[in-house]
Amino acid sequence: MAVREETLRRYAELVADDPREFRVHGSVYTDPDLFDAELRAIFERTWVYVGHESEVPAPGDYKTVLVGTQPLIVTRHEDGRLYALYNRCRHRGAVVCRQERGHSNFFRCRYHNWVYANNGDLIGMAQSTGYPDDFDRSRYGLTPVPRFENYRGLLFVSLAPEGPSFAEHIAPVRRYIEYWLGRSPAEAVEVSLPPHRYEYPGNWKLQAENGTDGYHGNYVHLSWQRVLALAREATVEESQHYRQSGSARGLAGGHGLLERPGSLNPNSSWTARMMHRYPDYDAAMRRRFTDEELMQISARRNIFVFPNLFLFETHFRVIVPKAVDRTEVALYVYALKDVPEAINQGRFRGHERFFGPAGFGTPDDIEIFTEVQTGVRARGQEWLLLNRGQHRERVEDGEWVGHTTDEAPQRALYRQWRRLMADA
Amino acid sequence: MPALSVADAERFLYAEARLLDERRFEEWEALFTDDAVYWLPIDPALDPAQAVAIIYDDRKRLHERVYRLTRTPVLDQNPPSRTLRLVSNVEVTPGADGEAAVDCRQLIAEMRPGGPGQQGLNAPRLFAAHCHYRLRHADGAWKIVLKKVVLLTADEPQYNLSFIP
Ligand code: FES
Ligand SMILES: [Fe+2]
Repeated sequence: MAVREETLRRYAELVADDPREFRVHGSVYTDPDLFDAELRAIFERTWVYVGHESEVPAPGDYKTVLVGTQPLIVTRHEDGRLYALYNRCRHRGAVVCRQERGHSNFFRCRYHNWVYANNGDLIGMAQSTGYPDDFDRSRYGLTPVPRFENYRGLLFVSLAPEGPSFAEHIAPVRRYIEYWLGRSPAEAVEVSLPPHRYEYPGNWKLQAENGTDGYHGNYVHLSWQRVLALAREATVEESQHYRQSGSARGLAGGHGLLERPGSLNPNSSWTARMMHRYPDYDAAMRRRFTDEELMQISARRNIFVFPNLFLFETHFRVIVPKAVDRTEVALYVYALKDVPEAINQGRFRGHERFFGPAGFGTPDDIEIFTEVQTGVRARGQEWLLLNRGQHRERVEDGEWVGHTTDEAPQRALYRQWRRLMADA
Repeated sequence: MPALSVADAERFLYAEARLLDERRFEEWEALFTDDAVYWLPIDPALDPAQAVAIIYDDRKRLHERVYRLTRTPVLDQNPPSRTLRLVSNVEVTPGADGEAAVDCRQLIAEMRPGGPGQQGLNAPRLFAAHCHYRLRHADGAWKIVLKKVVLLTADEPQYNLSFIP
């Protein structure tokens, strides 16, 4: 026990929350034991996103996911309710479902043919005379995860029975999620398409840090800015000016966001441009929201929900840690509900242009992740600097607010990381 | 209009593969008609208008792709990919209006060379694909109206597909 506490204390010391020089030790990307500790202390304790309810719309629909490295099934039972179950036969441990998604009236284990209902109940056993008459099947259903929440269609699980409630976990970022949903006048999104997926030889936190990093754009995405200039959508100067506007925010709980200011001017925000172009959308949005709310809704944000989810304008981005130096990322493009079809089609084509393994932006980001993963093996100086903008950061409503290129969201991420790693 | 024989189709596909392997992307782009589509689906059964693909380029987007690779400071193709494409199982189906459909299988070996210990570099990768082309005869030459590449691993996670599969 003493050894274990000592190890955890050592992990906590890998984040130096120094008011002038916030630092993180490079071994957070490279130490395989630390990765195992992260699975226990973070992915198997806090609240982890597992999907959107629209991915399993009808009774019998299911999807399988990894939480950390544990296989789960998210399923809709004939009673219409959703269940999150460990994908593990209660007999001798085989998975009961192999597909990524699908539809089935039951889950049959292929080893000895035990059969489970979509809510996990054990409803059939092969050659059951081999068990006594009083064998109590009700005790051997698929195990539900300890905690499962449906927050406005977004599904989260916690594999720990105790710990902060979902409401506490989500509170710091909640209003931003509501604004994000507000681009749909029904305040709802729908996921029905298979995701873009990429995998890179690097640590999962490289993706977690990067999605709210407003500092890299003018360098890593100069190539993208040149494409926009070719298409006469924006000059490189305009793109770079845009990337100076707004703010970067670190939130309690490890969440964070990168934010561009909202606007009701069609030239200055996507939402206003769509309202201008589609009168039906304009009418629906104005019926639903005040101008003040529309200002917030039209702000463009990359929202990080600790530890494995980003909400982007076009997609849910889900981080799946595979090993200390291997990460899978899935981009689930969603449709905004109750908007003109042309709006969603435009969003799909726009998404493909920048994102995914053959987009004009994503591969450049991935390239950088591999460069960091390679570079941190050089250990002459082992600390990474995450102190950009500490001197000019302000605290508003419990949020650390910085210039759009500052590292406030990354500091928030590592503060939460340290907290969880310290008391695992 | 001349009929497209299997030998003609092979000659065309080999020449296309050579242009890509030799990174002559602008010449490759010139093989496409103005109304062409270059498509790498995630799920080929889905209507591309309603779905998200890995690539769904119209001619303008295709030009952007080639421009990005050849004229902008890309990171993901610097160092560039070496590729080596094998084309086989060529089948031709004659079509109407000066068009022909060509199906083939391709095996693309890819590798990005780099310094020692560099994550993501120096690692050969193999991509197997079923390819479907629609070719149109115009101005004395066959041109590509549709190039659809269905990777064996289309719905699997991919690391960097920016070399033009
Ligand atoms: S392991 Fe599932 S029935 Fe035996
Ligand atoms: Fe980026």
